[in-house]
Amino acid sequence: MRPPVLEATGLGVRYRRGWALRDCSLALPAGRVAALVGPNGAGKTTLMHAAVGLLAPARGSVVVRGQAAFVAQDKPLYETFTVAEMLTFGRRTNLRWDQPAALKRLAGLDIPLDRKVGRLSGGQQAQVALTIALARTPDLLVLDEPLANLDPVARHDVMRAIMAEVAEHGLSVLLSSHVVSDLEETCDWLVVLNGGRLQVSGDIEDLLAGHLVLTGPAELAGTLTGAGGSMGRVQVVAASRTARQVRMLVRGEPPLDPRWRARQPGLDELVMGYLRSPESVALPGLAQVGR
Amino acid sequence: MIWVTWRQHRAQILLTAAFLAALGLLLLGSAIEATLYVSGHAAPGCPGSAPACAPLEVALGERYDAIYSIFGWMPLVLPALIGAFWGAPLLGREYERGTHRLAWTQAVPVWRWLAVKLAVLGGVVVAGGLLLSLMVSLWRPVFRAGIESSFGNVGVFNMVGVAPAAWWLYAFALGTLAGTVLRRTMPAMALVVAGVAVTMFTLFALSEHYATPERVVLSDTTVLADPDARLVGATWVDPSGREIDSPGAEVCPRRVDAGRSNRNTEAWEKCLFGKGYGYAVSYHPPTMFWRFQWTEAGILLLASGVMGGLAVRRTLRRTA
Repeated sequence: MRPPVLEATGLGVRYRRGWALRDCSLALPAGRVAALVGPNGAGKTTLMHAAVGLLAPARGSVVVRGQAAFVAQDKPLYETFTVAEMLTFGRRTNLRWDQPAALKRLAGLDIPLDRKVGRLSGGQQAQVALTIALARTPDLLVLDEPLANLDPVARHDVMRAIMAEVAEHGLSVLLSSHVVSDLEETCDWLVVLNGGRLQVSGDIEDLLAGHLVLTGPAELAGTLTGAGGSMGRVQVVAASRTARQVRMLVRGEPPLDPRWRARQPGLDELVMGYLRSPESVALPGLAQVGR
Repeated sequence: MIWVTWRQHRAQILLTAAFLAALGLLLLGSAIEATLYVSGHAAPGCPGSAPACAPLEVALGERYDAIYSIFGWMPLVLPALIGAFWGAPLLGREYERGTHRLAWTQAVPVWRWLAVKLAVLGGVVVAGGLLLSLMVSLWRPVFRAGIESSFGNVGVFNMVGVAPAAWWLYAFALGTLAGTVLRRTMPAMALVVAGVAVTMFTLFALSEHYATPERVVLSDTTVLADPDARLVGATWVDPSGREIDSPGAEVCPRRVDAGRSNRNTEAWEKCLFGKGYGYAVSYHPPTMFWRFQWTEAGILLLASGVMGGLAVRRTLRRTA
């Protein structure tokens, strides 16, 4: 097995206002497309900046094995440069640089090389930024909100481009978003950050298979959420109740009581369940205990 | 990285080069015209101190003043422009547009990115300042043979020798630091303009301490023979050699001059000199030119080094 492409140990980053990221330990397996999700201000950008060296951590460490390429939020480019000059910029500031591949990508997207970057559409700018990152033939591609400010067609194109690269070159990707539905089809690893703390990190299929949405009469809730929120093989992540019904996201096997109706959660439900209860965690170490 | 530096800053580099070229042509044209005028109109033995040379000197002076009025503002304005357009955007614009997150996540380490930019742009700034100084130094003697003012006149002093290069570099470093601290271009530009102006007046006020002034006691005039000296202070000395604020009215009566006449003051001074009083003047002679040039350049270079170091440290500390 390849070693993790990104590894954070006890990572803490603080700004003048306070901690943006605390005690974050996480390992991303190589060759995966990992989704980093969480509400605004959860520390997604901070974690990415620390990973690519834009921020020095106050505590702990974060290591990338191999080379990381980063596309920041808003896809910064030099607006007065032409597209061709942006490629020259990339070639001059990198040792590994695949110019033919970059030219082929841009030609395939019909982006003219002599056009000034500032005159391209938002979607085209995103593609140029992505092209520069990919031309570096990185081991890890870090994308901060790559789909923000893009129309649905451009979102689809960018996502498809990323997937094609993963399939072709086997690179690892870490991308952040606060819209979970964007990630459902493309990502196979989930990282949830909330309030500067790591809440979930795991294979999406395993996570979905290991969780259940239980619906049942309200009076049954107590039988599950007894001492410490868990009973036997079930651990409650989050619960919402109405007068007569209770709906819970739980981890573990389905309960025996036939009055419970159980089904697998969607990625959206899973993420929302964890974000609503910041005290719940699903991390590799703890996952073993839950089973 | 040199290509990146050139591509990002070529507008400033080309504009500055074009300005220097235009100024060079202007100075060259004016010098040629003046030389032709001298060869056509000069009486034998002129230019020189003979009375016959006065009309020529006046004509040359008019030509000199016409050009000087164009570049008289340059000692203050050029460093301010260099700081605002070379220094302030260097890091300020990167932060403002977020492009530092692009530049500093490529394989080139941040320290190298910064070192190349500071070295290339700083070098070009120094070269530009020296070129300006060279052009002005070649141009002035055409008009001012025998009338030196490059020491006494601070405006001229800051346009010759190593002063322009030191001022330009200082402004560049100040702009770079301001852009790093404020992280926005426009406020950094404003700070540079204010900073250069304050520094210029501060250094001018400090400059009389660059060396121990010479002191001379004049016994028949209150005006120094050398017009290019920098006056530090002057006071009356009584016959016993004591310095006094002002001789009392009981020594020599003084009447107020009317209009622009100096008659009464001159009569009063003559009376004082007649009674054995002297006028003590402390001043820096023009021979101090290079000492002052290098002292000022040293201060500015040291300040540039400190500010550049602070900008580098702030940038490398990585607080995105």
